[in-house]
Amino acid sequence: MAIEFDRSIIGSEFDRTVFDPVTAEEAREYAAASTESSAAEGVTSPTFVVRLRGRRFMPANLPDLGRMGFDAGKDIEFGVAVRVGDVLTAVSTVHDIYEKTGRSGTMKFLVLRTTVTNQRAEQVAVIDQKMMFR
Amino acid sequence: MSQTVPVRFADVDVGHELCTLTLTLSGEQVKRYAVVARMPGGRFMGDDDARKEGLPGQIVPGNLSMALFSRLIAESFPGATLKRLGATFRGLVRPGYALLIRGVVTEKHSSDHGDFIECDLILESAEGDRWVTGTATVRLA
Repeated sequence: MAIEFDRSIIGSEFDRTVFDPVTAEEAREYAAASTESSAAEGVTSPTFVVRLRGRRFMPANLPDLGRMGFDAGKDIEFGVAVRVGDVLTAVSTVHDIYEKTGRSGTMKFLVLRTTVTNQRAEQVAVIDQKMMFR
Repeated sequence: MSQTVPVRFADVDVGHELCTLTLTLSGEQVKRYAVVARMPGGRFMGDDDARKEGLPGQIVPGNLSMALFSRLIAESFPGATLKRLGATFRGLVRPGYALLIRGVVTEKHSSDHGDFIECDLILESAEGDRWVTGTATVRLA
């Protein structure tokens, strides 16, 4: 049976957070902990954007998808590089909700899309996070 | 061994294998990443906290697996730009286990925006269990 929910939730914004300027220390710490390297001095390593956590992780009006799921996957489209001093804004929306039946039963998926821009309104990254619920 | 000379588009063919990263993450490394990357959840902090969440022990955040894919791309193609990175988290990655991270070029294409390659990526155990699979789009110099 398909999940029943108010489809107006798709595309709806549930969080918009403006972060403090990226510091050289944050960039260095992330690169060291992730073992990634940055492309150039003053530029963060690529996956630095995943550490941006908005004020609200989940939409408040989410339909009942079952038991709390786990991170099933992620897709990041990279735009311009993040530089030390950038002021980043992350806007999160509900991108998709769907059901899939496999060998282990029926699973429900929630895809949250976070679009990150810098202070020049340039797109830094679009992150699709897929959460799985049983 | 890492290459230091940029890899040219013309020198890469479909089927080209990326370098293989072999490493074992320690519990402390995983915890450090979780703190720096602001990952909530005891599951990344240590075995005791993870077991309270019903897990067999501390696990590696998916974001760290993606960072390892990013490192694989950077070491395989110096000077290249990562344009897209996707990952499917298929199994629990645990600290203390040997990991092999490898990949292969599956496609080449060019446009007004540059020369690109597509890669399939795998993070697996020494026994060949594929815990994370991924794909990447990379612009070569």
